[in-house]
This record gives sequence, C-alpha cells and structure tokens, in this order.
Amino acid sequence: MFEIQFASLGEFFSMGNYAFNVWSVYALFALFFVINIYFPLVRRKQILKEQKRRLLLNAEAEESRTGSS
Amino acid sequence: MVERIDSRPRSSTTTTAFVATLKRELILAYKRKHDVVNPFMFFLIVATLFPIGISPEPERLSLIAAGALWIAALLASLLAMDNLYRADYEDGSLEQMLLSPQPLYFMVLAKNIGHWLVSGLPVVLVSPLIAYMLSLPEGSYMTLFLTLLMGTPVLSLLGSIGVALTVGLGSRGLILAVITLPMSVPVLIAGTMAVTETQNGASLAGYLAIMGALLLGTLTLAPLASAAALRISVS
Amino acid sequence: MWTWFHQLGSPKWFYELTGRWLPWLVAAMSLLLLVGIVWALLFVPPDYQQGNTIRIMYIHVPFASISLAFFPLMAIAGTVTLVWKIKLADMIAKTAAPLGAWFTALALASGSIWGSDIWGTWWIWDGRLTSMLLQLFLLIGVISLRSALEDTDAAAKACAVLSIVGCINVFVIKYSVDWWNTLHQPASPITTSGEGPNGPEIWVPLVIMIFAIYLFFAVALILSTRNEILQRERRAQWVQDLVRTA
Repeated sequence: MFEIQFASLGEFFSMGNYAFNVWSVYALFALFFVINIYFPLVRRKQILKEQKRRLLLNAEAEESRTGSS
Repeated sequence: MVERIDSRPRSSTTTTAFVATLKRELILAYKRKHDVVNPFMFFLIVATLFPIGISPEPERLSLIAAGALWIAALLASLLAMDNLYRADYEDGSLEQMLLSPQPLYFMVLAKNIGHWLVSGLPVVLVSPLIAYMLSLPEGSYMTLFLTLLMGTPVLSLLGSIGVALTVGLGSRGLILAVITLPMSVPVLIAGTMAVTETQNGASLAGYLAIMGALLLGTLTLAPLASAAALRISVS
Repeated sequence: MWTWFHQLGSPKWFYELTGRWLPWLVAAMSLLLLVGIVWALLFVPPDYQQGNTIRIMYIHVPFASISLAFFPLMAIAGTVTLVWKIKLADMIAKTAAPLGAWFTALALASGSIWGSDIWGTWWIWDGRLTSMLLQLFLLIGVISLRSALEDTDAAAKACAVLSIVGCINVFVIKYSVDWWNTLHQPASPITTSGEGPNGPEIWVPLVIMIFAIYLFFAVALILSTRNEILQRERRAQWVQDLVRTA
C-alpha cells in the first residue's frame, strides 16, 4: 500500500505519458486554491486598511470641528 | 407570499380580479399591436435563418427541424417577455396591482396567461407551416404542435420570474437571457425528444404526460415566485 | 427563543466564532491536503485501464461532489433571508455563489481533462457534464443578478428567490438531462471506480481528499464571508473597534 509508484523523478513527472492531463488538473487546483484562499486574505488587509483610514479621517474632521467651534 | 389581512370570503372578487387583469392584458395587446407582431416575426425570421445557415437540403433540414423550431420558439418567447411587466412598471399600474387586496398570485397568473395568448399562441399556431418549410418528417406535426402548445406556456411562466426579478433594471436584455435560458432546458429536452422519439416509434402519450407535468408544476409554482419577485423589485 | 435564533445569526457572533475556529480548520485542511495529495500522486497504483490519469480522480471527484451542494445551500440561505431577514444568511449566500461557480468550473475542467483520453475528445455531451455546465450558467445568472441590483437589501431578496427557483431547477435539469442522455448515447465512460471493487489503496486517499476539499470549501467560504461582514457592518461599533486595533 505504501510504495512509491515511480522509479525515478523523471518518471514521476512524465506520469506515464499523461503528464499534461495529470499536471494540468493539479495546476488548476493550485490556481484555484490561491484564488480562493489567498485573495480573500489580501482583500481583508485592504478592507481593514481602508476602513482604518476612513475612521482616522472622520476622527480628524470631528476634532477640527469641535476645536474651531 | 400573498398576505390576506381579513378572512372575508373573497373567491368571487378573486375571480373578478383575475378576469379583469386578463381582459386588460388582451385589450392592451390589441392597442399595442407591434408587441404582438414582433415576437411572431422574430420567430419566423429565426426559423428562416436555419436553412440559410445550415443547408437547404430537405434531408439535413428534417433532422434539425424540430430542434430549430423549438429554439426559435424559445428565443421568441424570451424576446416577448420583456414587455410583460415593463409598461406596467413604468406607468405605476404594477404598483397598484401589488397594493390591491386581491391575491397577487392570481393576477400574475392572469397576466401570464394573457401574455401567452397574444405572444405564445400565434407562434404555436404558425409552427406547422414553418415545420413544413423546414421539412419536418411527416407524422411529427401533431407531436410538435401539441408539445409546443404545452411547452410555450412553461417558457412564458419561467420567463416571467426572470422579468419580475429584473423589472427595475435599466438594461436587462442579457441578464434576463442568462437567468431564464438555462431554466428552459427541461422543456426543450422534452419537446425535441418527443418529436425524435415518436419518429422512432415511441408513443406520444408518455411525452405529453411529461410535458403536462412540467406545465402543471410551473403553473402552480412559477406565479408564486413571480409574485414574490415583483414585491421585491417594486418595493 | 427567537431572540436566541437572531443572536445566532448575528454577524458579530459569526465573526468571533469563525475567528476561533479558523486556525483549527486551516490546520486540519493543510494536513489532510498534504497527506491526500502526496498519497494520490505518489502511492496510488496506476489503474489497469486508465493508467496514471486515475490521479485526476482525487481532484475531480471531491470538487464534483461539493458542486452539487451549492444550490441547496444557497436556497436554504435564501429561505432564511426571506423568512427571518437574517443578514448573515445573505452574506453567506453572496459569497457562496462565486465560490460555487469556481467549484463547478474546476469540476468541469478536471472532468473534461480526465475524460479527454478515454473519450478521445475534450468535450462530449455527457449527462453529467451537461448538467454541470447548466448549473454553472445558473450560478452565473445569480451572480450577475446580484451585481446588477444596486440596493443591497433588494439584491439579497431577489437572489434568494432566484436561488430557490434555481435549486428546484437544478434537480429538474439533472433528471431531464440524464433522461435525454441515456436515450441518446451509451452511459458515461467515467464511472467513479473509487469505492467499487477496488481496495483501500484507492479509496482511502479519496476519502481523505474529499474531507480535505470539504474543509477547503469551509475555509474559503468563511474567509470571504468575514470580508463581507467587515464591509457591510463597517458602521457597527464592534467592527470599528476591530479596525482600530488592527
């Protein structure tokens, strides 16, 4: 059950002449993984940054208004 | 979806509302003839494009005749859907309909039936002629006619949901197609299969039963969804 | 009772709960994915008919099986949105639609790459492929309706209705396409040989991959839903506190 099915690295990459089929599916999976896990994380950073900026701006506006009046 | 505030017997008023809505739809269609004629012309033109695009040979045409007619009917129904609620939405009568105490379900149903009578039925009625021009095999005319007669109301009822969802949008031609076309696949399959399989000797009754089931299912469920969608779009 | 139900559906509650769960979910997902992929690529014996293309199954089958869950999920979320007006349900429904489109697209692509060798072509109008394709179209319909409607509340309700209609439709389409297909051509050459007569060396890694992809689905859905919460609840005090400390 736990024997590596390939004799060499080259054989592993060629996948018994199905290199394109097998590796393209796994590559698509990797792409999909990045899009659906990494992108939301990046987006989260953006959202937090943007909202923090907005909060600071609001606070400044509030301060200047109360300061001047 | 339909909220009844009091519990007075209102079956008679419901019927009146149903008939009134249906009548109004037919009168409006009579006054706006282009809305009736355009889908019909569209059907004829699309059906004419098939022999030009594929082949004028009768043998080849007879293979695709049923499918071509069904697709033309499907597109014509989609095109016609656009004016189901649009004018009523713009002049405010849709809002009046939503505010009226009558169950919205029946009024939506009446609108759908009225709309089908003026835009779907002409297409069905002319279909044998077009089928002849596309060299549909003899013996399939009745099948095609009956399945179109039962199938085009399903297309209208399904399309009504899509129109109700998008009635408030400015440009919605494409989004309506994206929403409703995939939904009409079962009808398309049942309709074209009935034609090809009865040619191979299958009995028509089974296919009519399937078509009837699809019709009954959408007749009961689709107006509910349309009514709910209208309430969302107009509020 | 209902206050409890609404509390359960509050975005804040969801955000905090998933915040606690996420590390564990990510850890379990990474572990299972690593084990599953290494096992599938290195240790699974080549199939006597399909050779090494059998390794595609370990991606395709989990994705295909989860793709079927999206419309029921969106329909349930839609019902909750319409009946109880719980905002969280719509946030989940909103993030589920594009994720479902991705899952369906990957299931389709991997299926067609897997089948390309057996069928000799990249695409055939096989029953499963066809109904998957139509499901993808329906999902795209929901996404485009959402983006077309500007008002968040109206978009939520409209998409809820469309998801419920779409869910019923997916089942009708599935049955009708299967029926259409069995009368048109022989049964699909892809029969999931996973759990059949084959030994555990085939199906154990498949089960691992299925669990891994389910966790992946959960993590991806949670991550996007949390983003959605941060955006829609940006005026809530707890989000502002969170933003300040971030």
